[in-house]
Amino acid sequence: MSGTVREAGAPVPVGGELIRLEGLQVHFPIRGGFGDLIRRRPGGVVRAVDGINLTIRRGEVLSLVGESGSGKTTTGRVIVKLTRPTGGRLLLEGADVTDVWGGDRLRAYRRRVQLIFQDPYETLNPKQTIHDFVAEPLEVQGLGGSPAERERRVLDAIDTAGLRPASDFAFRYPHELSGGQRQRVVIAGALVLDPKIVVADEPVSMLDVSIRTEILNLMLDLRRGRDLTYLFITHDLSVAWVIADRIAVMYLGRIMEMGAADEVINDPRHPYTRALVSVMPTPEPPQPGHRARRVILAGETPDAAHVPTGCRFHPRCPLAEQAGIMERCRTEEPPLIELGGGRASACWLAESGKPLPAVERRIGATGLGATAG
Amino acid sequence: MTAAPVSPAGVRRARWRLRVRNARAFGRRYAARTDGVVGAAILVFFAALALAPALFVGPLQTVTIATAGALEPPSSAHLLGTDEVGRDLLNLTVHGARVSMVIGLLATLITILLGAIIGIVSGFVGGRSDQVLMRFTDFFLVLPTFVLAIVLAPLILDIVGTDAEVFGIRATLMVIIVVIGVTSWASTARVIRSQTLSVRERMFVDRARVIGGSRAHIMRRHILPNVVNLIVANTVLTFAGAIFTETTLSFIGLGDPFAPSWGQLLNAAQGSGAPGLGAWWYIAPPAFCVVVVILAFTLVGNALDDVLNPKAGIRR
Amino acid sequence: MTALEGRAVARGRRQWPLPKQADPDAPLLVVEGLTTHFRLGRQTVHAVDDVSFTLNDGEALGIAGESGCGKTTTALSLLRLLPSNAEVVAGSVRLFGIDLLTKSDNALRRYRWREISIIFQGAMNALNPVRRVGDQIAEPMMERQGLAKGAAARRAGELLELVGVPRARGRAYPHELSGGMRQRAMIAMALACDPAVIIGDEPTTALDVMVQAQILELLEDLRSTLGLSLILITHDLSVLAETCDRVMIMYAGRVAEEGPVGRVYRAPRHPYTQMLLAAFPDVHSGRRDLGTIPGMPPDLRTPPPGCRFHPRCPAAMEVCRTEVPPEVTFGDRVRVACHLYPPGSDGTPRSLPPVRGAGAEVGQ
Repeated sequence: MSGTVREAGAPVPVGGELIRLEGLQVHFPIRGGFGDLIRRRPGGVVRAVDGINLTIRRGEVLSLVGESGSGKTTTGRVIVKLTRPTGGRLLLEGADVTDVWGGDRLRAYRRRVQLIFQDPYETLNPKQTIHDFVAEPLEVQGLGGSPAERERRVLDAIDTAGLRPASDFAFRYPHELSGGQRQRVVIAGALVLDPKIVVADEPVSMLDVSIRTEILNLMLDLRRGRDLTYLFITHDLSVAWVIADRIAVMYLGRIMEMGAADEVINDPRHPYTRALVSVMPTPEPPQPGHRARRVILAGETPDAAHVPTGCRFHPRCPLAEQAGIMERCRTEEPPLIELGGGRASACWLAESGKPLPAVERRIGATGLGATAG
Repeated sequence: MTAAPVSPAGVRRARWRLRVRNARAFGRRYAARTDGVVGAAILVFFAALALAPALFVGPLQTVTIATAGALEPPSSAHLLGTDEVGRDLLNLTVHGARVSMVIGLLATLITILLGAIIGIVSGFVGGRSDQVLMRFTDFFLVLPTFVLAIVLAPLILDIVGTDAEVFGIRATLMVIIVVIGVTSWASTARVIRSQTLSVRERMFVDRARVIGGSRAHIMRRHILPNVVNLIVANTVLTFAGAIFTETTLSFIGLGDPFAPSWGQLLNAAQGSGAPGLGAWWYIAPPAFCVVVVILAFTLVGNALDDVLNPKAGIRR
Repeated sequence: MTALEGRAVARGRRQWPLPKQADPDAPLLVVEGLTTHFRLGRQTVHAVDDVSFTLNDGEALGIAGESGCGKTTTALSLLRLLPSNAEVVAGSVRLFGIDLLTKSDNALRRYRWREISIIFQGAMNALNPVRRVGDQIAEPMMERQGLAKGAAARRAGELLELVGVPRARGRAYPHELSGGMRQRAMIAMALACDPAVIIGDEPTTALDVMVQAQILELLEDLRSTLGLSLILITHDLSVLAETCDRVMIMYAGRVAEEGPVGRVYRAPRHPYTQMLLAAFPDVHSGRRDLGTIPGMPPDLRTPPPGCRFHPRCPAAMEVCRTEVPPEVTFGDRVRVACHLYPPGSDGTPRSLPPVRGAGAEVGQ
């Protein structure tokens, strides 16, 4: 994939490095329960993010895709500095900001890196008007010049997010707006600081399908108009495919595969990605042979307190079953191997650069394999 | 840019209009609760008595002005009879409203301020500070009110002097206020801390952090508005509790004999042997007033709780 | 397989006899003119309006639509599991020819769970957290069918194995199971009394995509081994495409279009169906430009007159504003309620005029 984005009209050039993660690690000690993802065990560590190297380039839409327990949300939270990493580095435009946690430097960082949350019903304080929600970042950061200038910026943001007339929407409360409108408010709130990169954590998952397109459109328009970069976190591969330039697939805290969106979907180089792509539902009645091509993995993602040794995917890997599991898969964890052309895969079988061998036997849904429970 | 600019003055006007609209909506919802309206009416009545007792019954009768005979039963001249030195009981009861309500108000203020601040800070900041503050709160939670009163009363009077006045309030009165405040704030703090813990986890608090909000900003702008409903409901009930506690303390003699609160009246009634003499008119009015006022507070508190924290709601 | 053959096969697999009042020649489930209203204060929400459909033995019917279209209310109306402010005001629900809506609550117990059961969205909410999973599966068998404790427990273990949960996990509490396991346990519970129909209300919505695929495949397997009939309710048209024989698209409480899944998806007739399908990304065909539907679904307290979709429909005509479109069935067994296809038309799907308003497609 060259340095441009697939879009009708003039391509948006993708620039230099904006955010870089080096060996990012987020481990949580188990002491009090952490929600139902983690089963309680005495002692132990939840390795939510377990060594990630990622570069987000200016102007691109990079989608981080994964199921629950993959660590994608935690990664997003580290980038917006809501969660502290326990290892690794975070760099913004080449500068190490890993240890920036207070004062002016943190405030400056937050001006550049913003977040769109998943739940438009929860992100807005029910007691706050839309105007106050969008104005709050300016207030907190002490920005915006004169009061009149500040008001102009607030209304501008609301208008840009597609809520018109802005002065009408500004003085409503969240409960007066629909889900799609609320998400636009959230976007306005993220825009008002004029950030460089916006981390969007499942921004359309809770919206009706017909509203999703509007919001996705809005985000892409903003990318053009305001020179924005997006890290788009989602569990839905088809949405990632629609909006992203590059896709990174995460599993149990690490990146399994990365590359241009079209290439990852049409020619996956990691067995996990291939399984995910094969079970992606499409609004078309299944063609004959479709059932046979589906690769349904047995069991579920193990909890991050008990990461398998070697390749963390090997207990569920359909290729391991048929190839007779490679000793290497069981003992050595593959790094994210560069395959050239911007593609990378964390799989020993992909190391050669050739496509993956076909899956011979289907894994039944009722078989639970080694990761039962 | 296509948005019509709104001046800061325009924003202020719009905000004001919103406040008025919210207040009206609140008024309408509250008016639908008959129990709340009845309670509020009762409180308004007693508040009027408390604010200007002289308007209703003339100045407070002291021993020197007393004209009537001792312990006279209710008659047309004295609607509620007289006490053992001939003072009109209606007069005393109405003036008693002022003392009881003022004590209740001041004690409640202490309770709510302490309770809310400690509750919010402890709940939001968490960690070590939370642990320390909570142990501190637990200590006050288990303090028995009356024991503390008995211990503190002579202590404060010793320090300050029996006739001293603090902010225009006599020392003996101050003791009661302080005692009530000190023993009530802890449960308020616990309740508010608990609500803070749940508000803290909500997504809009995360959002406030992401835009760069300091902890103080978040507590003020996000935690407090979502906790204030609980505080208001709690305040009303605290007020009721304060009046009750004051009545009890005065009744057992820890009060201020020169401030004729309802509790004081009951104390005086007992002291003068009214029960044995069958002088029910001495005991009944103050007792009745205490019960009615506390009931009114409870009704208002319940109605407020329902109006401010509605359980029904339709999402999407 | 024809409907009659399907019926013979499915009913042949039943473990328990048909209800006494059953009509052996009637189709499995026939819903006619179902209308359900909610009372909100002084206003009425017209949640479900004149909905009709038929479910044959061994069939899987998908009910699709966006939030607020009435699909869940329809399902709950079948079992009369509605909240206290809701009421079925018209229509009939005939199971084996027996009208369930005329039955008293007590009489309905004979049918609830024993003939129709339901899998709710979010098994975590439907399972009792303080009872073991196996006990919860055994409970309806003991209560409804009078099985002894030992026999019920054994059957519960069999059901767990059937849905892919190791028998020993029946001794676990719900919070000890993963999301996928819990949903399987819910399916086992729904199967407990060997019902004829299972309703799945968004059964996979909260699950990971791989677990969703497992559960859907499980439901398909159960259909073929047990002769189960399925009503699957979801907002995700892609999910229905894989598992259902027929699909019914609902909008604002009414049926827009209904028919075999292949016909409806490949040649949608109703404008709403067309626009809704266009909003789903289709990776395998490479279609990246998604459509949108301008406007918002109507407030069902004051639904628009005539066709409820007309304010948002690019093909709206004068008659759409005033008259409710009649349902017309065509040769390929597709039923549509749209004035573009009046009675007597040949049913050729009409393409839509371009949507008013710019920026309707992603990526432009």
